[in-house]
Amino acid sequence: MFDVLQMGATGLRAQRTRMDTVASNVLNINTTRNEKGEAAPFRRRMAIFQAGAGRGSNKPGVHVKEIRLDPSPFNERFDPGHPDADAKGIVKYPNIDMATEMVNMLEASRAYEATVSMMETSKAMYNSTLRLIA
Amino acid sequence: MFIDRLMNQGNAPLLEQMVKFTQARHRLIAENIVNASTPNYRTKDISIEKFQAQLRERVEKRSQSTPGSVGFNDISTEVEDPKRNILFHDRNNRSMEQIMSDQSQNALLHNLMTELLRKQFDSVQNALKERVS
Repeated sequence: MFDVLQMGATGLRAQRTRMDTVASNVLNINTTRNEKGEAAPFRRRMAIFQAGAGRGSNKPGVHVKEIRLDPSPFNERFDPGHPDADAKGIVKYPNIDMATEMVNMLEASRAYEATVSMMETSKAMYNSTLRLIA
Repeated sequence: MFIDRLMNQGNAPLLEQMVKFTQARHRLIAENIVNASTPNYRTKDISIEKFQAQLRERVEKRSQSTPGSVGFNDISTEVEDPKRNILFHDRNNRSMEQIMSDQSQNALLHNLMTELLRKQFDSVQNALKERVS
């Protein structure tokens, strides 16, 4: 029965990774250049979940299968004064929508809380079973 | 043999089966909770009604046969895919309200069963010690 706590840990880990991707998206909402300094807007990241504990294990749980780049088009804004503007004065900004990120963040946070509550319930159940022996 | 018979009389085997059932169900509920955001995941459950119907059947059989001839260990708990929930856009049919209420109900049932089992063990222990509880 103790594998339920292990399963909870996989859920917590997956939701935290999701939260990390949301944080990275929010931080880079105005980033128009890559690490090398070239004019390449930041592409939105998405954490793709898959059932199963992952890492070659066949136990139940959840894991992040991959961090996928969002292929949707970049946001374009007319800003001729910007150093990364093209000949027409258009600047390409990351394909990130703040409202979507906020909703994702809330969902990850609630899912994390639900997992913690499940682990608390599991602990209470273990305690009640262990009291049979004591 | 004597202790075995002492422990397996009355409701104790039934309570033990219910504890096993609630533990198995809790594992499925936990899996449903951690996969609440997983695309294409379908929630899993074990029917408590079906399990209790099987238990009832065994109890009736046991009351009509010789003691010790009818056991409870081979009762099957089939994992089901409850189709009562709507499908979301990520093709996951979670219902957090249902899952959380199932979890509370299952945990309460588990605690009740272990408490009853503990009382039974206590009374056996008291009898062995020739003490009135």
